[in-house]
Amino acid sequence: MNRPIRRSRTLLGAGALAITAALALAGCSAGGNGADGSDGSGGTGGTLTIYTTAQDVEFDPATSQNLAVTTLGLTARRLTAWRTSPDAPTEVVPDLATDTGTPSEDGKVWTFTLKEGLKLADGTPITSETVKYGLERSFAPELSGGLTYHKVLLEGGDDYAGPFSGEHLDSIETPDDQTIVFHLNRPYGDFPWVASTPAFAPVPEDAGDPKTYATEAISSGPYSIEKYSAGNEVVLERNDEWDPDSDDVRVGGPDEIVFKLAQDSSVVAQSLIADRTDAQDAFLATFVPPAQLVQAQHDPKVGDRLVTSGPGALEYLAMNTQSPALSDVRVRQAIEYAVDKSAYRTAKGGEISGDYATTLITPGIAGRQEYSLYGDDPAGDVDRAQALLDEAGATDLTLRLVVTDDRVTAAEAIQEGLKRAGISVEIQSLDQAAWAAEVTAGDGSAYDLTLSSWQPDIPSANANIQPLFESSQIGNGNYNLARYDEPEVDAAILDASSTVDAEEAGAKWAAVDRRILEDAPVVPLIYSRNSFLHGSGVADFTIGEFPAYPNYLTVTLAR
Amino acid sequence: MIRMLGRAARSLAVLVVVVALTYVIFYLGPADPALSLCGRPCAPEDLEAARAFMGFDSPWWSQLGAFIAAIFAGRSYGAGDVAFDCAAPCLGYSFQLHQPVSTLIGERLPVSFAIAVGAIVLQTLIGVAAGAWSARRPRSLGDRAVTGASVVAASAPPFVVGLLAIVLFAFTIELLPTGGYVPLTENFGEWLRHLILPWLVLAFLNGAVYARLVRSSMIEQLGLDYIRTARAAGLSERRIGHYALRNLALPVTALVALDTGALLGGTVITERVFGLPGMGALLLDATATTDLPVIVGTTLVGAVLIVAANLAADLLAPLLDRRLASRRRFSPTSSVAAAASASPASIAPGVASASPTTPVPPPARHQEDPS
Repeated sequence: MNRPIRRSRTLLGAGALAITAALALAGCSAGGNGADGSDGSGGTGGTLTIYTTAQDVEFDPATSQNLAVTTLGLTARRLTAWRTSPDAPTEVVPDLATDTGTPSEDGKVWTFTLKEGLKLADGTPITSETVKYGLERSFAPELSGGLTYHKVLLEGGDDYAGPFSGEHLDSIETPDDQTIVFHLNRPYGDFPWVASTPAFAPVPEDAGDPKTYATEAISSGPYSIEKYSAGNEVVLERNDEWDPDSDDVRVGGPDEIVFKLAQDSSVVAQSLIADRTDAQDAFLATFVPPAQLVQAQHDPKVGDRLVTSGPGALEYLAMNTQSPALSDVRVRQAIEYAVDKSAYRTAKGGEISGDYATTLITPGIAGRQEYSLYGDDPAGDVDRAQALLDEAGATDLTLRLVVTDDRVTAAEAIQEGLKRAGISVEIQSLDQAAWAAEVTAGDGSAYDLTLSSWQPDIPSANANIQPLFESSQIGNGNYNLARYDEPEVDAAILDASSTVDAEEAGAKWAAVDRRILEDAPVVPLIYSRNSFLHGSGVADFTIGEFPAYPNYLTVTLAR
Repeated sequence: MIRMLGRAARSLAVLVVVVALTYVIFYLGPADPALSLCGRPCAPEDLEAARAFMGFDSPWWSQLGAFIAAIFAGRSYGAGDVAFDCAAPCLGYSFQLHQPVSTLIGERLPVSFAIAVGAIVLQTLIGVAAGAWSARRPRSLGDRAVTGASVVAASAPPFVVGLLAIVLFAFTIELLPTGGYVPLTENFGEWLRHLILPWLVLAFLNGAVYARLVRSSMIEQLGLDYIRTARAAGLSERRIGHYALRNLALPVTALVALDTGALLGGTVITERVFGLPGMGALLLDATATTDLPVIVGTTLVGAVLIVAANLAADLLAPLLDRRLASRRRFSPTSSVAAAASASPASIAPGVASASPTTPVPPPARHQEDPS
């Protein structure tokens, strides 16, 4: 799922990009495919075990990159939440707030009203002040590492360094205990979604030592942290202050949830396939490893305990537009035609690994329009590719494809595809950290091509496109891996993201999607599907259309 | 005394070199640890701030100096209320796990200790017994079985053996858990149940080397003059076996010392396969996530353990082999004189001329991935 490097933060359920399978482990899962892995209605009670390869879990909302429906959602409510469904787009719904926010006429001021009577696990009332304090903490350099979408939007955020020096952020107003008002530096239509990111969880001002808050956070959700042992296990127990009637998205099924950390995913997958007694009330938060995936698909004992998501994260081949070999758009378009997506998908494990991709906005996201600029045959069109290369005068093209070491087989499929059009590809594989330093950071001189994937942090076209194609996202660990810098597109992204009317915004995003692919900075390969395994005692294990991970908040145990 | 000081100084030098090399290798690598502390999206100024906060914005020698100084004086990261303090002996601070490295190691060491002690006891017992037994009747069916098994064990990849053991004991005959760890203080029975498989796997893998060493040395011993003399004098085979075995105490101790140090430092693959939160798993995860302070800290502690174990073996040697003790007392005497005054005489009275029981140096060995 997300990114590699931060294993922990990202992992457990976090957000965005799916770079390495390995990392992915940690956290997020998904089910889909219509997928309702459950075998009936679950009740409440029991102990649910969640196995993960991550060695820690990030419970500090300021530093977490979790998606709204995974681990952090069990302990931290935010202003808004997600309602997921296997057969409908994910919706943003009120959580701590009574609605999903009211924008001002110009879209720059957003007002939320909190529900009455909510309390944190220590009995502190959840007020607008606690939400404001939680957000202010996320600006402290000592607590960096979380999702930062709000930080660039709130007025005065650039110069603000957190509440620990006694300063407060004036662009968040709290006129009374139930009302919180956000002043943005520009109109922003997706603000209700941004309000579902971790930093919008309440934190009381006397929350204790910020250094250790990640392991002893005060809960606002159905569970509190009972025990935290990095590298071993985390035990969550019921938070009696949580009021189920105030919460439409969390079921609070099991009495206790135990995370078993730093697990070997193959061993756990075997346990789940065999449905061992100690693995029946459990699921693996990490993707099922390829060998066990094949085994699970053919083992009648597994059946619907193997849950595969619908098409999710976009896997793509990024073409470094700043590399001299790829500066001519015709060469990049030739590569669009030359790539063999069917060979790529085979290398990734075949049909269960995903659907062929032709657009940047992924399925299940509002505003997406289906189109294909570069032909409909997943095997490519070698003649068109050669014609474009001839036109561009590109002969004897040799390109460096730099990938993480878990993507070498997929890279070979790309290599074979391009060879058909006379393009030679040299594959260089790096470990995750080195790849990140060379490709997401660095000056971009180390690669022509790279493989990556992107699962947005929130289900909006903006989160699909802006992080990958806005020029501000080049380098520094960001994900504009094509190093695509087109002022016209930057302006279009700004315009679309500022549009508050959802329908109007959707049309603008669809236009941006197509406009970018005309310049061919990336080849969309597949929308990946993620597969997860759970034991026979687990019910309501479902994966919505977004994200391609199971919704931890609704899982119950069949009793 | 001077010899001891010299040894200690050499050990210290080894440790400094290990730390410096680890630091430089990871510093020179392309990875940027600060990327993991920058949010998403990551603004350039946030990245700079993260580097400065983590102390990764200065040249490697300055970072290395700060690291070594912190071991003795402690250090803190950031300033004010949210400064992250790391008290001496500070081995750095893991920004990803939110804890000082010394705390992390303190949590993991008992797990590695539990793994190491059980494995060492089992592998020494099994290895020595199997080796000695098969040396009694070389080329017999039993001997061939032991030799064959030890070849398999010495050449099998640890993860394959570990996974096979899990499949056999945990899946096929649901007897033992597939992995995980329960602290001794929480539940002794569960602690034992979770450790049996890792112990057996390590004992199988590492015990092979003991079996081979003991077997070949025993065969050599049993062919020596003092044994022949002892036999001629009518001693029982059982006693003769004991005499021969006693001469292997030294090389076996050296091996045990090496293994103890290495196992305490963590067994990467065994810990990962069995889901045990020991030092090896800590190092492995830190490597995957470029958690530089953890990498350097665990490497340093692992090196300290190995150096200490070897030192202990050196100190024990004179107790196990009287010749070494006397050599030290009367030195420098010729080795012949030392040998003459030494053990075979004490074992087999009346055969003072016997015996060059030169301790067999431990062979180059297959050790399950010491970190």
